[in-house]
Amino acid sequence: MPGGYTGLFLTVDLISGKISRFVLEEEFFRLHIGGSAVAARLFLDGFPLDCDPLSGANPLIISTGPMTGSAFPGTSRFSVCARSPLTGIWGESACGGTFGPELKRAGYDGLIITGRAPFPCYLRIEDGAAEIIEASEIWGKDIYETTDLLWSKHRSCRVLAIGPAGENLVRFASIGNDKGHFAGRTGLGAVMGAKNLKAIAVKGTGHPEKADKEGFKQALRSAAEEIRSSAFAGSLHAMGSDAGMDLGMMTGDVPIRNWTVGEDYDLSAALGGPALTEKYLVKAHACTHCPIACKRVVRVAEGPYRTEEGPGPEYETCCTFGTMIMNYDLAGVIKANELCNRYGMDTISCGSTVAMAMELFEKGLLSGRDTEGLDMAWGNMPAVFTLLGKIARREGFGGLLAEGSARAAERLGSAAAEASVHVKGLELPMHDPRAFHGMGLAYMVSNRGGCHLQHAVMGTEQGMVSWPQVFTMKDSYTGPESEDKAALVFHSENFGILGNSLAICHYVLYSLKPETVLKAFNVITGFGFGFSDLMVCGTRDWMLKRGINNLLGVTSRNDALPKRIMTALTEGAAAGSVPDTKKLLSEYYALRGLDKQGIPKEDRLRELGLDALNRRLAAVRAAEPVAKEEMKWQN
Amino acid sequence: MAKLKAFTQEWMNAFRRRIADSKEYREIAGNWEGSVSIIINPDPARGVPETVYLFTDYWHGDVKDFLVCDKAKAESADFIMSGDYIRWKQIARKEIEATKALMQGKLKLKGNLVYVVRNVKTVNKVVDLLGEVDTLFPDD
Repeated sequence: MPGGYTGLFLTVDLISGKISRFVLEEEFFRLHIGGSAVAARLFLDGFPLDCDPLSGANPLIISTGPMTGSAFPGTSRFSVCARSPLTGIWGESACGGTFGPELKRAGYDGLIITGRAPFPCYLRIEDGAAEIIEASEIWGKDIYETTDLLWSKHRSCRVLAIGPAGENLVRFASIGNDKGHFAGRTGLGAVMGAKNLKAIAVKGTGHPEKADKEGFKQALRSAAEEIRSSAFAGSLHAMGSDAGMDLGMMTGDVPIRNWTVGEDYDLSAALGGPALTEKYLVKAHACTHCPIACKRVVRVAEGPYRTEEGPGPEYETCCTFGTMIMNYDLAGVIKANELCNRYGMDTISCGSTVAMAMELFEKGLLSGRDTEGLDMAWGNMPAVFTLLGKIARREGFGGLLAEGSARAAERLGSAAAEASVHVKGLELPMHDPRAFHGMGLAYMVSNRGGCHLQHAVMGTEQGMVSWPQVFTMKDSYTGPESEDKAALVFHSENFGILGNSLAICHYVLYSLKPETVLKAFNVITGFGFGFSDLMVCGTRDWMLKRGINNLLGVTSRNDALPKRIMTALTEGAAAGSVPDTKKLLSEYYALRGLDKQGIPKEDRLRELGLDALNRRLAAVRAAEPVAKEEMKWQN
Repeated sequence: MAKLKAFTQEWMNAFRRRIADSKEYREIAGNWEGSVSIIINPDPARGVPETVYLFTDYWHGDVKDFLVCDKAKAESADFIMSGDYIRWKQIARKEIEATKALMQGKLKLKGNLVYVVRNVKTVNKVVDLLGEVDTLFPDD
């Protein structure tokens, strides 16, 4: 087995209680590398794609990469994958923290969990051994309480857990790792909940091999120096991911009032990284082996939103529970973040759904009777806190919002649809495509729905990185323009998607020279890859997930931006600008090798060795587009 | 009007006037206090034989000293920005944004990063005004 891998996957059938292992060979890893790419291939080859996402048939696949646990910066990551209960298409969410390295130390590259346990349970893994343990004691507890209980029962273990939202099948339920780290997107906490699986506790003492230990030490030294001298890494260390809000307000990146307002400098002054740092920061916190330490530990010492010391909000959360809902009080964001962490809910989808509710309330499309007396006025944080509990428990009005904004809007009638801002059912992250047209294209074609992390477009288009040594790109791009963006997105996807298969954090990827990352990958695995080899793997990964989505009904009709985003703002840096979606998509489809229906062309898949996928897509290609069942979440 | 030679005191005076005359700058920079030095790495092939040290000082919307200075004076500033000559030229010509250059490691910054981010509008306005000085660069 090459360095960086154990070659072993653990399979757990929660119905029969059978636990077994299987081996993946080097040849497989040379094609798919790791993380969500490996998971996608396993999902495609081994499971019914059209399974009910909230049934036992939907496999939960947890997959690390070859760099996970290697001690190289930013490589604590792992991916959680399944068919998404929120979008109905391929779902994946990457997470940093501690679980991935510990799973590797326990002897596994990944896990596949199938079936639904007859009783609430958790899975315990320790150095190769695994057992299913009854979990009635922790069922109903929030993620922090669950983690504490498992820590007390299993000394030094690392915990992956869901909260009440996952148990109650909230469609944007998250999965928490050791309290401060989350696999948030696409609702995979509900997949765990549907399996009656409350948590996974893992402990390991092994050490993954490296192909070239001396070479690895050199790569580590280079990485440490590059991070030390990186202003990008420095700003993340000083202010966390929220460091970008002040500049984002200037460039038009920050969504305001459910994407209807172009700028509000009072919001960024109140909610941005400097405010978080100066008012509430207790200390910085790091994922395993990461010198950047972008995570925040915060405390609100006094006032109505007092919170104990704990994980602080990311930039995205400062928007969804701040700028998006016109809340100028950062303490309120911190409180909402803590509640979402404890209940186990993705702060992007949850906050965006709350923002939609506030807009509909203002417009009279939701009444006080609909909200059961909750005053959903913009910025009313006490109402938000009450609502979060109702969502997590699926109580009344909360049960409607627990379906996610797209389903909830559909139930509220056509007039509500515009307020749900999503692509393929996934609420957009907090970067406005009217200010950065490349991001708009990336949202349209991302394989998990509207997403800013399945690619490196944010880094390349906004100028945080310049990688001409990896692919052809200009020195600088103008955000609110569509020219030259299709090629930028295409290449940034093929390289950026590798973050999820190598298992390296994008923040670290943006702080290092790509040569250093490539060297680290090669000295760990011994693969001897060049950038072009990596880019082929990235392309294969993208096509594989696209093929899965095509088989689940995705076509070119679903590659679209919502009406709200296609409506120009009247103020701010993006005023008057909307992405030229027709140009962007036609150029992109040509580069990517998609046909008019948005399905990968045969020759492209053949080049990538995806012949089995080619065969399965033949029936989809042959079908008349008009006869095809349309995806539920068209824009 | 003739172009001013870059990195001369005359050029610094013109830069200072641009800022001092900007009503918009005064409004934006009300919270800024502190000096900023610019260090330009030598590039003999492009007509910059030695390191250039520039010192600028700002106080709540007003501008104070703008000097071509020595190393010791430059290093006494609250914030120190350094980088290759070609990068500074690109910034002055608005071919690249200063914040992007910083993030990409093309410029280095010493000083309180939180303060700079808090006042990023001020920083960008100063760079914007720098671009308005009609400049003759050494390799033009």
